[in-house]
Amino acid sequence: MKYFLIISVLLLSVVVHAAEDNFAFDTPAQRAQFLALTAELRCPMCQNQNIADSDAMIAHDMRRKVYTLLKQGKSEQDVIDYMKARYGDFVHYQPPVTAATMWLWAAPVLFVLFAFIVVITRKNSRIDEDREIKLAKAEAMLEQEKQ
Amino acid sequence: MKKAPLVVVPLVLFSMLIVFLFQGLFSDPRELDSQVKGKPLPAFSLPDLMSPTTIYTPEVFRGHVTILNVWGVWCVTCAVEMPFLTTLKNEDNVRIVGLYFDQDLDPDFGTKTLTRVQEEVTDMLSRYGNPYAFNIFDVYRDTSLDLGVTGAPEHFIIDADGVIRMHHIGDINERVWRNKIGPLYNALIAQMNVNIDNDSVTNTEPSK
Repeated sequence: MKYFLIISVLLLSVVVHAAEDNFAFDTPAQRAQFLALTAELRCPMCQNQNIADSDAMIAHDMRRKVYTLLKQGKSEQDVIDYMKARYGDFVHYQPPVTAATMWLWAAPVLFVLFAFIVVITRKNSRIDEDREIKLAKAEAMLEQEKQ
Repeated sequence: MKKAPLVVVPLVLFSMLIVFLFQGLFSDPRELDSQVKGKPLPAFSLPDLMSPTTIYTPEVFRGHVTILNVWGVWCVTCAVEMPFLTTLKNEDNVRIVGLYFDQDLDPDFGTKTLTRVQEEVTDMLSRYGNPYAFNIFDVYRDTSLDLGVTGAPEHFIIDADGVIRMHHIGDINERVWRNKIGPLYNALIAQMNVNIDNDSVTNTEPSK
């Protein structure tokens, strides 16, 4: 029970943080949207914190902006685009697939493929070589037998 | 002989990794791609900090090359750069405009009066020098958000057409001015003078 309490306190603290500003929402869905957005938008000042966690002034202002935009009936994508227009792709934790960021996904796959090819070619060549050596040996032995 | 290239592969990969990580040592994580560079200033209508009845719009940047300095009295680095900015204003006649925003002023639950903010600003400027032609008061910090400001101090170099040409995060000191901002500023001034000359030529020609 004690551990359960400790763990639940640790897990819930994030939610409490975000709710610190005392925003009132029209619907529970809107509240859920707000929490999702503030968790996935990145604070440009204190990097590697989302704006829900961060206590920097810019994070306060961005939370307030997210709130007002949602209140105006804007969709989640609208809010993300609004922030991206001001702070760039950096502000969203979900990077878009571009020529530069493609390697994040492609590099591991390419590496595995490359390693796979190397393993296969090495195995084959070694078997062939072994076979050739053995054949040569057999050939030599046959020659000796003949003599 | 055939296997020699394969031995080189890990070596090449390793040296590429070294180069990548070595660059990382000197990269500034606060350096962001500014979204406003090359664009005109976003629309705003904000009061003067000292006389709130005066309202500024982006029009105040037309006809001058301006450095817009985002600052506040609570910002330590701003205090550090203030004397240098003041020398720039006095010796090179650089037009520096302040975009002031207050940290303690919660737009929804005001905790500080305007007179209190003005007192603090006057106090700070009398201590470190006043580089500003005037200060725009970003009351709700909306314009800062539109400009992609992450904190203070930040600077926007604005040309005579009101277009943002550079977004500099961090302070301006002698080194930054010499290497980064000064050259652009001088180029913009030269460009503006050429344009003025051309204008005056085209304006005077018909009258001849």
